[in-house]
Amino acid sequence: MKPTYLYRLMIWVGIAVLLIWSLGPIYWTIASSFTPTDDFSVRPIHFFPQHLTFDHYARLLGINIARIGGVEVFKQFRAALVNSVVTSVAATFLCVAISALGAYAFTRLEFPGRKVLFVLVVATLAIPAYAVLIPLYQIMINLHLVDTYVGVALIYVSAFLPLSLWLLRSVFEALPIALEEAAQLDGAGRLYIFFNIVLQLAGPGLTAAAILTFLGAWGQYLVPLIFSPQATKPLTVLIPEFVTKNFVDYGLITASGSIAIIIPALVVIFLNRYLVSGLLAGSVK
Amino acid sequence: MASVSVTNARKSYGNFEVLHGVDIDIQDGEFVILVGPSGCGKSTLLRMIAGLEDISAGGISIGSRLVNNVPPKERDIAMVFQSYALYPHLTVEANMGFSLKLAKASKEEITRRVREAAQILGLEHLLQRYPRNLSGGQRQRVAMGRAIVRNPQVFLFDEPLSNLDAQLRVQMRSEIKQLHQRLKTTTIYVTHDQVEAMTMADKIVVMRDGFVEQIGAPLDLYDRPANLFVASFIGSPGMNLIRGEICTTGPLTFIAEGGFELPLPPEATVTHGAKVVYGIRPEHITIGQGSVSTQVVLIEPTGAETQVTTKVGPQQLIVTVRDRVDIHSGDPIAIAPDVSKLHLFDKATGKRLT
Repeated sequence: MKPTYLYRLMIWVGIAVLLIWSLGPIYWTIASSFTPTDDFSVRPIHFFPQHLTFDHYARLLGINIARIGGVEVFKQFRAALVNSVVTSVAATFLCVAISALGAYAFTRLEFPGRKVLFVLVVATLAIPAYAVLIPLYQIMINLHLVDTYVGVALIYVSAFLPLSLWLLRSVFEALPIALEEAAQLDGAGRLYIFFNIVLQLAGPGLTAAAILTFLGAWGQYLVPLIFSPQATKPLTVLIPEFVTKNFVDYGLITASGSIAIIIPALVVIFLNRYLVSGLLAGSVK
Repeated sequence: MASVSVTNARKSYGNFEVLHGVDIDIQDGEFVILVGPSGCGKSTLLRMIAGLEDISAGGISIGSRLVNNVPPKERDIAMVFQSYALYPHLTVEANMGFSLKLAKASKEEITRRVREAAQILGLEHLLQRYPRNLSGGQRQRVAMGRAIVRNPQVFLFDEPLSNLDAQLRVQMRSEIKQLHQRLKTTTIYVTHDQVEAMTMADKIVVMRDGFVEQIGAPLDLYDRPANLFVASFIGSPGMNLIRGEICTTGPLTFIAEGGFELPLPPEATVTHGAKVVYGIRPEHITIGQGSVSTQVVLIEPTGAETQVTTKVGPQQLIVTVRDRVDIHSGDPIAIAPDVSKLHLFDKATGKRLT
């Protein structure tokens, strides 16, 4: 049956609404980041900036020196950017490495309580961060891990591990067991099989887990607000500080927000290459 | 090369037993085929020999060594999987050399042995390809090559041809048989296809529901099936099996359900009134003569021979004839079973009587 005109119209309207819904705020952020500070208070507001300026980026990147509370903005921004990258990357590597080993154990090793343990680990997904914040803070204080990369990365790992574990277990379960059995007969041990067969074939799954973890860690606000107050403060915590008692610096907020969008976008574009399926073709059947 | 012996091997999953005490002796260099319908336990037994499944009770020895608790990699066996199980991220050469690399063989030795195996299988020009770029038959050959390279004590094949199309299957069948004649390595091969079993095996093990029904050379099984199951499983078209009983008085004859009589050989050692199953292979019936009058139901010419399905009372009998015949469905026709090629089975136990 040929789709009717009305049917196609509905599809297009739906797509348009979705695009505006998801891309609208991003456009507004980027457009605002090029708008001169004075224009923010002009009414009516304009969809396209009336004047263009690179002043906000210049301040962020240290080309114009600006200060908030006596500290140069670009130094704060640079430190926060580095902190965000370091904690997110560390959390991603740790989380994917640990959950890959764990998921493989849950998939292929027989041990008592395997199913119960798995359900328990995944069930922690349902626990909201604020419910454990206070006890977690005490633990981190006692371990002297507050405001350290290790501390924040570990919290991220514990937060994103269950999801990653769940995802990777289903990835490993989908791998043909005959390959592992063949390797076993060929003389390979468990770990050899894991590193040289399973991980090689689970590339797309590992990539998906890495993207999820990275994006999750990159966007964290509540956890670093409490656990990364100073030295390891990430972008998400820094940006709201551009709102001061007397002045909301929309220019800085939107310019740093734009840069905060670019990094995960680059990560996803880069990792996307490894998401290709079809690697398995030809091994079995 | 080594002999393999399976002694009272049992396998159960929880309380559910799938192999109920299997005994098989396999000579050094023998080509043995485990055959049976799906679910009969043949693949499970093969995997137990490989070490991929543990043995619930009984023993399996390779050579003189009991291997019950020996891990697969130390059993010195190679297995060809139904799905081929080629490593997709490795080239054909790396696939075939995988086990040697793990065994820490030198680069030169790996290259030499992989080339040798590739030459045997005609894979030389494919060594740098990846499995995804190979056809089904080529993948099958690589899987065999991976096994050959290791020069193991025993080859195990788990339904290796079931993913190939009919023509290729026939070709690979003869290639595997020739390969065995050349290498003379003890081979255990699982299939559900009785034609594969008949054409390739030195010895066939017919299994059903976790029991061994009969072990023997292909033609022995064909000529003297030990029971009704083997009689019906081996041969295509299958043996005609007619239920009935021996007459109660007078000279011995067989009275089929439905009332018609079939001749028995004079030396038959059956008792009057015994309930039996009368088995006769389609090629052991001649048409156009004899005392049994039937009606033709269906004619299926295959070229070399013709299958004629006839009807006697409620029973259908299949007859194969080598000559071209001018008969049509609906025609009445007389048939005569060759009583010297007759098989009689006990109806209650299914066991062969003579």
